Amino acid sequence: MTYPPKLRRLEDKGRECKIISTLDTMNTLGNITKPGNHFFKKSDYLLRRFLNNVTEESKRQNDLFITEYKRQKEAVGRIEKIDISYEKGSENITLVMNKNLSTPYDCAKHLGDSVRKKAVVALLNDESLWHMHKPLPGPCKLKFLHYHLPNPASVNKTFWRSCSFLLGAAISNAFKDDIQIVLHSFPSPNVKSGSFVYDVQLSLDNWTPSTSELKVLSIEMIKFCQQEHPIYCLDVDKDLALDIFKNNPHKTRQIPDIAANHGDKVTIFKAGLHVDISRGPMIPNTNHVGRITVANVIKLDTDIPEGPIYRFQGVSLPKAITLNHFAYGLLEDRAKILNTGRIPGSQGVDNEDNSFVARMTS
Amino acid sequence: MNQAEVSKLVSQLKTKVNPRLRKFRSPKGPEGRLDRLRKTVTALVKHERLELNYPRADEARMYAERLISDAIRYGDCHKTTMEMADYWLVEKQCVHKLFKVLVPRYQNSTSSYTRLLSAPKPYPGTGDLRAVLELKGNPYPSLLPDTHTNRNLIHNVLLDEAKKVYRSKKYAEIASKIDAAEGANGVKEQKPDEGVPEAVEKEVEASDKKDSVDEVK
Repeated sequence: MTYPPKLRRLEDKGRECKIISTLDTMNTLGNITKPGNHFFKKSDYLLRRFLNNVTEESKRQNDLFITEYKRQKEAVGRIEKIDISYEKGSENITLVMNKNLSTPYDCAKHLGDSVRKKAVVALLNDESLWHMHKPLPGPCKLKFLHYHLPNPASVNKTFWRSCSFLLGAAISNAFKDDIQIVLHSFPSPNVKSGSFVYDVQLSLDNWTPSTSELKVLSIEMIKFCQQEHPIYCLDVDKDLALDIFKNNPHKTRQIPDIAANHGDKVTIFKAGLHVDISRGPMIPNTNHVGRITVANVIKLDTDIPEGPIYRFQGVSLPKAITLNHFAYGLLEDRAKILNTGRIPGSQGVDNEDNSFVARMTS
Repeated sequence: MNQAEVSKLVSQLKTKVNPRLRKFRSPKGPEGRLDRLRKTVTALVKHERLELNYPRADEARMYAERLISDAIRYGDCHKTTMEMADYWLVEKQCVHKLFKVLVPRYQNSTSSYTRLLSAPKPYPGTGDLRAVLELKGNPYPSLLPDTHTNRNLIHNVLLDEAKKVYRSKKYAEIASKIDAAEGANGVKEQKPDEGVPEAVEKEVEASDKKDSVDEVK
């Protein structure tokens, strides 16, 4: 297989010097730590490769995210205790957690490894879905949802949304520097459509990807997921959101709409160094994703003035669900057909998926 | 070319056969090893599901597979097979079970007769690998999660939708074919309302079969 000329490869990049500076800034959120830590030794290679791909822009976004994350944590002030009730079989367990600090993931850690590994998304008071890494604002009844429930529709949707988000992360790292990419958005996740989608503006005219290019994109995504990044979530103000996405004209246009509908707040998510807006919730960690294929890239017919918009489509399954290769091949073939999800236009920038902030009913 | 086909001399097993047998050191020597394996094979035939250390399970599996496949191949009137059954099954009522229960059960089986699954290691423990060895078609509840009856699971949702798209594509294809044929026949009178949909249904079903067979797996 000859390597596609448009996509990056490891040897292309001589940016070793940048690694050292990033290492210090990145140790806050756990996924990347300083050398000497056991984690660094374990995935030394992956880390180096990962950081080579990092652009200045994503580093800036990531720093802003981390600063805000720290600020919000410190702003909690005096720690209050809340009672979280959880039903384990027939017995009722009450966990005493910290208000606005403890997350459903922390609760899951108290309940044992099997619960922690299995949980995809939390359900508070039997009504609102809650991201696993989002602090709990008050006492509630907690439930964990997973892929094998009798009716896992909301879990599937969560998984599909996360796949779109991760596809965005993979795309933003995959192309060479001379190709300008601006992430636009992704429509509301619909598993029945057969593919998850990310719409991206590319500075390429009439590009139809070759099989090897698609393969490399798939591999990029697989590698990204294998790095086992936790996916963090943060509610930020409109101004900060505008600052984070100031170099992205599409997102800048979307943010005021989103904030207007949701009390001046925008929910942003972070996996690795990739930061994006989404309604949430997402899966707690990228290692939930099993098989992934980026199936097709199709140029969309839109009236967006900045440049041509391409729809990246893929199909994926959680690690907890295995499928034979023939059946998976059928799914891959299906995912090649143009997804009929909402096509972005210059009018009505309010994207369904981006226009909602996960919020617990008080 | 006069060489005898090996698969016709010895039953071809559907499981992996280890190139080198495990020793299972025992004061009694090789005989002691076989005694241990006989115990496991007998227990497998008797209880149909065992949890044991992985090496023993893997080794005993080969003998159990060979015993069952010989029993199917030669039946209970074959002297050598009966001697083998007598040797491997320490409890003699199991010999009856082998020929009267297991042989009919696996008569038309296309895959292996046993299933070997790795079991969790107890913690803290010795760290030995554990396994579950079971006869297929046993009456116990399945150990593996049921992923195909629940159509709401993500892969089933995707497969069902893919099937719908495939069907509609086939319908359109067949309809266009019929249109073309009608166009060619011209004024020739037919009964399109009755004959056509039936034929369409049949053809689509046939082409669909490939998919549904796979889903069942």
